[in-house]
Amino acid sequence: MSYGFSAINTSGQVIISDEMESLHFLGKATLNSNDGGGHANYGASGRIIFTYTITTSATPLVFIKPSDYSRWHAIMTQSVSGSTWTFDVIVSGTSSSNPPELFCFVNANSTSGTTSTHGLVVWKSDGTTRTFDSRYSPLVITGGGSLAPASCPSDDGCPTTTSGHPWNYSTLDHDFGSDNQYNSQAISGTYTDLMFSAPSLAQGVYKRQAEGYKCSDKPWPQSGCQEHWSTAMWWMMYRNAFRIRSGYFDAGWATYSSGYSFSSTFESGGWFGGGGGGYSTGSMPYTAKTINYTSNAYMIADSTRYG
Amino acid sequence: MSYGLNVYKADGSLGFSTLDIVWMQIDQFTVAANASVSNTYPEVSGMTVIAQVQMINDPPESQEAYAPEVIVSGTTVSVAPYTSKTSEQVIIMVLAQD
Repeated sequence: MSYGFSAINTSGQVIISDEMESLHFLGKATLNSNDGGGHANYGASGRIIFTYTITTSATPLVFIKPSDYSRWHAIMTQSVSGSTWTFDVIVSGTSSSNPPELFCFVNANSTSGTTSTHGLVVWKSDGTTRTFDSRYSPLVITGGGSLAPASCPSDDGCPTTTSGHPWNYSTLDHDFGSDNQYNSQAISGTYTDLMFSAPSLAQGVYKRQAEGYKCSDKPWPQSGCQEHWSTAMWWMMYRNAFRIRSGYFDAGWATYSSGYSFSSTFESGGWFGGGGGGYSTGSMPYTAKTINYTSNAYMIADSTRYG
Repeated sequence: MSYGLNVYKADGSLGFSTLDIVWMQIDQFTVAANASVSNTYPEVSGMTVIAQVQMINDPPESQEAYAPEVIVSGTTVSVAPYTSKTSEQVIIMVLAQD
């Protein structure tokens, strides 16, 4: 280059540039609320959703720093109103204690407020846009890659629909827990200091359905069989979530929502004239499948470097 | 280190070093539902480029909410709905490492 600034490491990699913007620590998002948790049903550990906000005119890159590293975490969605960003973070388990911290990073030019007179600031050739400013703790990555969760979230394998059960059968025989369904990549560092940036894209809905049947004799003077049918269905919706443990970064699942329905019907001509009834706790969002099943980029950083 | 650049904080502690590993933020943009976008970044030629995808503005929870397909090819990042699928609004964060 004829002018400007580049810092290049011993591997020839550009670490600081006056042309490309480094990310810098903006601050921690503020925890505002949680939804109380729920859906610890059918063998699953349930989940709780924490909501955070932070104000910035830039689009922040967010890292989750777990407080409880045994739980699964992910940013489910984010939204912006004016310059206020809101993040919904799903955490496995229903306890509202030990919420994670959210570390937010933005381009250098979107940081402000320091009074420090020490450090290094690099501007673009326009002389006004900062690409690097050491006063705001530049983001340093300790690991990363691309990872997808296990394709089927359920520890018992993908649940099935079976028939031939007794009429009005409603005993669940499937474990919807998902803590053991994940893919891993090796990472380094003291894991209780680490944080990750990895949005939740994949989601899935699965159901266990048991169909019952019986045939009862029709009373005299009728003859033959009166047929009775029943359907019991348990469903669980999962969201892709992540976990850091000693030596590994895991892409797995957290429960999002769940429901149950039961219905029975019988044909006319028996003791009764046909009919039936049903019961339901919520509707299955869509037919059973995993969607958005793709590897998403993730990054690992050391939280102890930032405020 | 024998050579390189260390930047220290006012208290004398090390704030940043060229021994660190960094990712540069190349771009960030929002892709509307069902839209297609393709951006090329010549300045990152030879670098490793990743694109992080994040759902934005409360995608539906009672129906299938598809993210678009994101393809990184060289210095080009392309975003489009999967074939025969609708896609939700997303934020794309483009990062590069030399």
